[in-house]
Amino acid sequence: MNLSRAYFLYKALAHNQRLQSRRHPMFEKNRVMKLFSYVFIAFIAAYLSALGVSLYTFFKDTSFEAFDWIDGGMIWFLLADFLLRFFLQETPAQNIKQYKLLNIPTGLMLHTFLCRMGLQPYNLFWAFFFVPFGFLAIPQFYGIVGLIGFLLGWWLIFILNSYWYLFWRTLINRYVPTILIPLLIYALLIYFGLFFDEKNQWLFQAAIRFMRGFIQWNPLGFVFFALAVVPLYYVNYRLQQVAIYVEIAKAEVVKSFKTRNMVFLDKFGIIGEYLKLEIKSTMRNLVVRKQFLIAAGCMLMLCSLFSFSHIYDSLPFMRIFICVYCFNCLGVMTLTTVMCAEGNYIDGLMVHKETVLSLLKAKYYFQCLMLVVPFLFSLMPIMEGKMTWMTALGCLLFTTGVVFPFIFQLAVYNDTSIHLNKKLTRTGRDTKVQMLMSGIAMFLPMFIMWSLVDLWGDQTAAIVMAAIGLLGTLAHPLWLKNIYKRFMQRRYQNMEGFRSSR
Amino acid sequence: MNLTIENLTKSFGEKKALDIAHYAIHSGEIIGLVGNNGAGKTTLFRIILDLLKADTGSVTVDGVIDGRNVSCDTAKSESWKSYTGAFVDAGFLIDYLTPEEYFRFIAKISDISDEVLNDRLLQFDGFMNGEVLGQHTLIRNLSMGNKQKVGIIGAMLHYPRLLLLDEPFNFLDPTSQLAMKYLLETYSREQHATVIVSSHNLTHTLDICSRITLLEHGCIIKDYDRDYALLNSEIEEYFKGQQHM
Repeated sequence: MNLSRAYFLYKALAHNQRLQSRRHPMFEKNRVMKLFSYVFIAFIAAYLSALGVSLYTFFKDTSFEAFDWIDGGMIWFLLADFLLRFFLQETPAQNIKQYKLLNIPTGLMLHTFLCRMGLQPYNLFWAFFFVPFGFLAIPQFYGIVGLIGFLLGWWLIFILNSYWYLFWRTLINRYVPTILIPLLIYALLIYFGLFFDEKNQWLFQAAIRFMRGFIQWNPLGFVFFALAVVPLYYVNYRLQQVAIYVEIAKAEVVKSFKTRNMVFLDKFGIIGEYLKLEIKSTMRNLVVRKQFLIAAGCMLMLCSLFSFSHIYDSLPFMRIFICVYCFNCLGVMTLTTVMCAEGNYIDGLMVHKETVLSLLKAKYYFQCLMLVVPFLFSLMPIMEGKMTWMTALGCLLFTTGVVFPFIFQLAVYNDTSIHLNKKLTRTGRDTKVQMLMSGIAMFLPMFIMWSLVDLWGDQTAAIVMAAIGLLGTLAHPLWLKNIYKRFMQRRYQNMEGFRSSR
Repeated sequence: MNLTIENLTKSFGEKKALDIAHYAIHSGEIIGLVGNNGAGKTTLFRIILDLLKADTGSVTVDGVIDGRNVSCDTAKSESWKSYTGAFVDAGFLIDYLTPEEYFRFIAKISDISDEVLNDRLLQFDGFMNGEVLGQHTLIRNLSMGNKQKVGIIGAMLHYPRLLLLDEPFNFLDPTSQLAMKYLLETYSREQHATVIVSSHNLTHTLDICSRITLLEHGCIIKDYDRDYALLNSEIEEYFKGQQHM
């Protein structure tokens, strides 16, 4: 292999991968999210560092050295790291597609991607924990050289884990149930290595010995690492060679869809047609469906906790939080991106007369109908005597008459299309206006209700909220028309945004 | 329908994408917009359809609909939408519907009954060539050619008097291209509709259009009435000239 060419290729691909993430439309668009992600990383770093210091303090006066406890628990770190990688690490086969036809030997390209995988900064992520811990635990016994060996050893372990993950991830991409195999391996190792024979705990002992090899710069430690990483690298190399072709030939699984006319909605005319669109969009688009299921899951969990446990009984604000959250969360989650799904086919809608107004009306009615779900869930706390009928009704009407008009304002300002059927984490999609509006829509009603309860008690507060909500609900033709007018005034700007983000 | 463009300009940053002082299309004409990439064809379509804001100027549509005179500026009124049909790209398709559901949706919002819809779909049977209806698949899972067919049929379903199609021959197989030509000619003749088609396919465009407008860098540089022999050689000469530039 020509080394200078390999190095050039490595640099070029690394550059392209950096550009790929930097030039993502949402990355450029969303400075607030970028700031949040940096703050989040800083928070995690601070958290892991603090954890490192606390664990040292916790373990320092025990029967083992503090670093032995941590080294012995290697399997837990490996498991956590393995699971975290599902959110962060792609397979080379997924990235290599665009380079396949270029005049670069596939083998060289695969080696480049596999080496990059080993050297990626993520493999240093756990250093936030191990550096402060190591500084406190190692030098007193083995000096700075021992500390370097300790840190190097853990880094190599995580590189090994990245190839271990890559192997399984490639198989999981082919056949999802394969995920059970590594999970079973971890479960068996943990059970038989740590709990089956609690006196010996062979996995604990083996991990300590292995890591002591690095701390003491015993060549055997590095030999063991090489014996593990070389075959794993080779297996991955062969596997990726096959996976590239699978990835290139991959086509979306085309399900058979029966045409559904939903004739029962025909009696509502044009609005009925748009209601059909809303229902089909929820049923057939992964992103929309996922939003709905997550919101329903949150509602069910909170209502169950509130109803059948006593943990929130002594916390009046939590009680209000759960009541309001259950009714708000689905609307806030889905309406934060109102019109973003339609951004994918906005041109088609805009060449028909007043379609956006009908669409907004249909969206409003659909969201109102969906409130049946939290209302049914709220029957649990009502039956348990922890919530009154009036409170549930107050929250429901306040949502339809105050929260929805507020969050619907985003229809005027949203100008980014969301990919309807691609797996996309929520982070990175929301712009600063969306985040601000959804935060207000979620928490302001809680503070209003809290203040009202504080002033007049539960029952009167619920009646006041219901009355305010009813007014807003009855006025929906007016505020929807107003939103439509403002949308039309901003239409060119929005349509340009929708087109550029498709 | 007549369509009149006056003092239309559009720039993207420093680059002038469109600059048309005056351009008039008369009722019943089939117009072929030709030009190289970046000539401004799609920009012109988007401005006519009020999907893009012009920097200056106006687009007016006028004619007789159901016995009464109508006239409107497409950026200032929505009334033109009821007698206009268009397909520019996949951004016009609701891709999580099946073709049947999509056609039914377009029919409903255009006030067309199910019976009339079924009748009209029959007229597109040859064009669909058995590959669009009854496939039990969503539009997003169709081939590019079949998506194109769905978009074109969707634009024509309500029998618009003004029809705009951007690159309608793209992605179509040779049989469907011929069917498309036949469809446009008969549609314009039977419905007395004005049809504007942009295309890179000179042969098909010259075959069906009564008038060819040549765009370059956003400007109309030639406007030919149909005189097939002369037109064909002149346009070919023009593009050959462009090749050597």
